Amino acid sequence: MLICENLSFSIDGQKLFSNIDFKIKKEKDLLITGPSGIGKTTLLSILCGLQQPTAGNIFYNDICLYNLAENKIDEFRGNQLGIVFQNFNLINTFTIKQNLQLANTALDLKDNDHMYDLLQRVGLADKSHVTVSKLSIGEKQRVAIARAFIGKPKWVFCDEPTSSLDDNNTDMIIQLIKEECQRYKSSLILITHDKRIQSLLNFNEILELGE
Amino acid sequence: MILGMTVITVSILVNQITKDTFKKNNPNLDVVIGAKGSPLQLILSSIHHIDIPTGNINYKNAKKIMKHPAIKFGVPISLGDNFQNFRIVGTDKSFFKLYNAKLKLGSIWDKPMQSVIGSNVANFTHLKIDKFFVGSHGLVDTGDVHSEQPYKVVGILKKTGTILDNLIITNLDSVWSLHSNEDLSLKNNNNLEVTALLLKYKNKTSAFSFPRLINKNTNMQAASPNLEISKLFKITGEAHKVIDYLSMLIISLSFAGILFTLLNNINERKYDIAILRTLGFTKIKIFSITLIEGMTISFLGSFIGLLFGGIIYKTIEFFSLLGKNIVTNQFDFIYELLTMWFVILIISFLACLLPCLKVYKQNIRNTLLNS
Repeated sequence: MLICENLSFSIDGQKLFSNIDFKIKKEKDLLITGPSGIGKTTLLSILCGLQQPTAGNIFYNDICLYNLAENKIDEFRGNQLGIVFQNFNLINTFTIKQNLQLANTALDLKDNDHMYDLLQRVGLADKSHVTVSKLSIGEKQRVAIARAFIGKPKWVFCDEPTSSLDDNNTDMIIQLIKEECQRYKSSLILITHDKRIQSLLNFNEILELGE
Repeated sequence: MILGMTVITVSILVNQITKDTFKKNNPNLDVVIGAKGSPLQLILSSIHHIDIPTGNINYKNAKKIMKHPAIKFGVPISLGDNFQNFRIVGTDKSFFKLYNAKLKLGSIWDKPMQSVIGSNVANFTHLKIDKFFVGSHGLVDTGDVHSEQPYKVVGILKKTGTILDNLIITNLDSVWSLHSNEDLSLKNNNNLEVTALLLKYKNKTSAFSFPRLINKNTNMQAASPNLEISKLFKITGEAHKVIDYLSMLIISLSFAGILFTLLNNINERKYDIAILRTLGFTKIKIFSITLIEGMTISFLGSFIGLLFGGIIYKTIEFFSLLGKNIVTNQFDFIYELLTMWFVILIISFLACLLPCLKVYKQNIRNTLLNS
């Protein structure tokens, strides 16, 4: 279970958001939505242990995330969370395979079969040797998704996964994320202001920031 | 790093090996008697066989000195000829005892114009037992030969690790016989000459009075090998210091180079490093990777420098006449080289810490946002 308690965040004394509370049970989904600039990406960073909140706690089951030492947070993120960033955060000079292998290395995974299965499912198996900088936005998105599922995460976070995609690609990417979450029994926390997504996926919880 | 390490390696090798060679070449001789001139020249020519002799001394007078009550024993030597740049030394059989020399093949001479050769001479010149060779005038090969009286090789010495390995030893009569054809005065026994007299005292206290006695009362000079060589090293030591300071400067610049290269690499790759953190690489892991990168650069750089230094030293040794006199089977320098290498690696480690700490303190979210 993911529990978010009284989460607040301020920059230079100005509150971006405050007192956010929610709970997501195992294998349930949460949609976080709201207008641009409201702090959705910041909230995702906080939930993933990349940014300390000003106040509040985050619990993953019994673990209070920000009570962990920074190295332990890094380890936890690698082992339990999968993140698809809005701008993908792939290493552009590496090939698709190398980007995925980095994630494998971070988790000390020796088995490459899972990586090839993922590449097969995202439809990039025959392009695994291609450098990321040469890929289309849709392809980069699929690499980012494959990388997020390398460690069979319990929680998957997606930040605006469809913001720069057309309708066909949006449909395909959302189905892909959903399928992979079901395969690994992961909870999905998706951040978007894209109205199309709500019609494509039924979320168990919706959190509207800025209300 | 490579350049600095190369210079310092050559400096250490030259310094250490020449010191060891000078030490090993002197079989604990206390004093050398020779013609007046530079005492250092006398020592270098008669013990280390590098320089030219200061002149000759009368053999009759030399024998008187050998019988002096302060002297335990003495060995006369006569220089003047060479074979393929290896010096021919006329002496008596006690010369071999000085170096604890043992025969590998053959025997010591029993008549004039027979010779015993050192192991390096045998290897370089391919002379063998019963083979003849002709000595040439002077101490370097000039082509001006004593073809009328060839030497016969009767013995080959085992390697001693001293200058003896580079000498051709014959008896005094051979040298006198060769040169009496040119200088008829040598036919008279009273006019026989030797180049120097290598002496040991009965008692070390004679070191104060005996040289003064010779220098004041005769037309000869007495020189102490240890004193002259330590004077020489005092002079060359200053030059070595300058070279060492220069190499230290180069090495310091290379430390700065490593530091700035790493800092630059980190700046260029800070986005990639932040990505690694999002994937679960811990701060400590990233710190270690950066440290390993820096240390690999300095390890390889310094190792290649060591290798180049060794190669350059060997090349100098091979092409120099002095090199032939250097005894290369000594490894005392290894300790000094390894210590220096270790110190350099420690400083490299410290230089790498700064960029590593920068990586350690990196704010991932800000880096990802700013990218």
